[in-house]
Amino acid sequence: MNWVTIFWSTLSGVCLMLALLHLLVWSRDRSSRASLFFCVAVFSVIGMAMAEMVTMHTESIAEFSGAIRWTHLIHGVGVVGFLGFVHFYFGTGRWGLLVLALFIRFLAVVANFSTGESLHVYAIHSLQKVNFLGQQVTVLGEWAPNPWVRLGQLAMLIQVIYVVDASTRLWRTGSYESRRRAVIVGGGLSLFLLLASAHAGLVAAGVLRMPFLVSLPFLGVVLAMGYELSRDLLRAAKLSRDLRESEQRMTLAAEAANLGIWIRDLVRNEIWASSKWRALFGYGRGEKLDLEDILQRLHPEDRETVRQVLEKAMAGSGSYETEYRIILPNEKVRWIASRGRVEFDEVGKPILVRGVSIDITGRKQAELEASRQRRELAHLSRVSILGELAGSLAHELNQPLTAMLSNAQAGQRFLAQGNPDMAEITAILDDIADDAKRAGSIIHGMRAMFKKDAAVEMQPVDLNDELTQVLKLLHSEIVGRHVHVELHLENALPVVHVGRVEIQQVLMNLILNSLDAMKAGVTQRHLKITTGRQDDRVVVRVHDNGPGIPEEMLERLFEPFFSTKPGGLGLGLAISRSIMEQFGGRLQAENHAAGGAVFSMAFPVAIRNLSET
Amino acid sequence: MTPTLQTVFIVDDDASVVRSLSRLVRSAGLESRTFASAEEFLLAQPQPLHQPSCLVLDLQMPGLSGLELQQKLASSPASCPAIFISGNGDIPATVQAMKQGAVTFLTKPFDDQDLLSAIFEALEKHRNLLASGSQLGAIQERMTELTEREREVMAWIITGALNKQIAAALGIVEKTVKVHRARVMEKMTVSSVAELVRHCDAAGFVAAK
Repeated sequence: MNWVTIFWSTLSGVCLMLALLHLLVWSRDRSSRASLFFCVAVFSVIGMAMAEMVTMHTESIAEFSGAIRWTHLIHGVGVVGFLGFVHFYFGTGRWGLLVLALFIRFLAVVANFSTGESLHVYAIHSLQKVNFLGQQVTVLGEWAPNPWVRLGQLAMLIQVIYVVDASTRLWRTGSYESRRRAVIVGGGLSLFLLLASAHAGLVAAGVLRMPFLVSLPFLGVVLAMGYELSRDLLRAAKLSRDLRESEQRMTLAAEAANLGIWIRDLVRNEIWASSKWRALFGYGRGEKLDLEDILQRLHPEDRETVRQVLEKAMAGSGSYETEYRIILPNEKVRWIASRGRVEFDEVGKPILVRGVSIDITGRKQAELEASRQRRELAHLSRVSILGELAGSLAHELNQPLTAMLSNAQAGQRFLAQGNPDMAEITAILDDIADDAKRAGSIIHGMRAMFKKDAAVEMQPVDLNDELTQVLKLLHSEIVGRHVHVELHLENALPVVHVGRVEIQQVLMNLILNSLDAMKAGVTQRHLKITTGRQDDRVVVRVHDNGPGIPEEMLERLFEPFFSTKPGGLGLGLAISRSIMEQFGGRLQAENHAAGGAVFSMAFPVAIRNLSET
Repeated sequence: MTPTLQTVFIVDDDASVVRSLSRLVRSAGLESRTFASAEEFLLAQPQPLHQPSCLVLDLQMPGLSGLELQQKLASSPASCPAIFISGNGDIPATVQAMKQGAVTFLTKPFDDQDLLSAIFEALEKHRNLLASGSQLGAIQERMTELTEREREVMAWIITGALNKQIAAALGIVEKTVKVHRARVMEKMTVSSVAELVRHCDAAGFVAAK
């Protein structure tokens, strides 16, 4: 039994296995360069083992010397492999040191081929046989050492420094993983490098009568590296299990919450969606998903908005939330709420969009219904106010009518008397026309209040104008109740974005409330209305000199069905406040220091480029 | 018809109504003067005492209302009669106005004939009032010329008492009563007791009990 052959062959076999395994790994994932360099290192160890087998069995000096020489080259390649592995596996190696080490090693290899027989041995005079592992193997007999070996030793030193330095830096990162790697791979490699160098040095110096056994220590290193890489494979398997587990949990959660999940890969331009999502959007199991096609399923009114929202998220905001309608192939309409998040690469380019979609049709319909009922209620309230004002509105219309009739009849009389003053006749006709327009505007104002719209018509509104219009409608009522109105309207009041009719309703409600408050026991009925800008808000204040509001009722006033008037429905202020909130404003009540109550309406100032449509 | 300048005062807070009424009044050959509020009217104090005039008054105005103005004017003698116009057919207000002596109450819009008839009626009323008013002044003046005793006698005359009764009441001789009676009738420039009674009534002279 040639134990040497067996042992060295086994050694080579093991190395080959490891090498092939990691070559496979690298071919599947080109980014795991550590595996590639591991292969190089391992192949070099195989090469060195082969060469050592040759030296141990050869009889000829030339063969012996040649084998040693080639070992150095293979060793050089091996160094590249080992250091490369350290560099990519640790990630902490200093580039400068690496280059230096490889350079000096390169010089050593050059010296190996150009000076004497090989780097260690200048000349071989004779060979001898010694007993090694029960075997007779060839070793150096008499020889002259090569002074250039110092170069090799220098290279080795720098290699070791590089590895030790990289290992220390890895250790310093502190994690258990890193420290284990630093010790096993880094420490092992440094140790075995030194061991190999020392052994070769001792053999070359004649202290040890043995074959050059460089491959053995390196096997040790290979095993250490292999161990670490295997641990990675094990961890990968565990991660895969954990991932599967995590996926299952997520699917379960998504099912339970009725969520459709989707992922859009922007790089590969592919969309993946869960079966729940496909069901929501009316797609089959295997149907290919395309963004444009999906957008076509959206309701035409919502399509643009959603498109813009998506683009904005991808342009940088990173996430979005939106609601929209989709029209299924069977004509059914569904409301969907989607939330998504965009993933960007290192340079800020969007590469992935992930999101969830959920069917909110039920909720949306309830919202729309509630909104419709609110509008109905507001309308009813308006109609009711107008009903209360019927008398005074009729009076308000009566004035222009009276003037028109008297003017016309006076004109008739002038004409009948012959030789009328034409200037007077012209003035009469002008007045008639103006009065007719005046009556028309009252009617127009009333008609607007009676309107019931499908939706609130938002427009830029000057509150001063609206206030003036409302006061015109309420003119007779105010005069009839002997109330003196004091107006302080700020010039150039900023415009607000509201519904005209709804705001008139609120103003009317507040003014009528004030008139009612001043009914009893107030001799001088005084109503002060101011408009003005306060920071970023436009504020309208209605101040009466009634008895004020008891503290405990200040907030209750706005509760639905709360009324201080006998027979009052108590909805006016509740509706008014909800209208204000609808426009992003506020309605508040407080008592004024000088007596009476003050109701304040606060609106946000309209931003110039408000409208998107 | 006495050819005096008859003026209609128009008080209403609605400028257009005022203008139209002014034209209507002028088309009837009358003079018009307009005021935007009761306060403006009071400040102007436009009532000439010897020319018939009347007031066309809106009921509902900011500040002093039509009714309030009417009340204020009632205190001054020989004030011109008022015609009320209003957009509201408010019954209590109507009743109040009529009670306070309004000529009539018209609801807007009204026919020109209705207004002009009311105006002429009011002017006639005022003319009579002025006439009787100037009469009244004369009567009052004459009364100041009566002596104390003549006054006492007059108080009894207008009760319809006989000379004998008057003498008994005052404790004087019947003959003296006769003399006083003659003087009273002469000074008061009346030709009958009935006339005397009327004048005394007008002057507010209280009869004896």
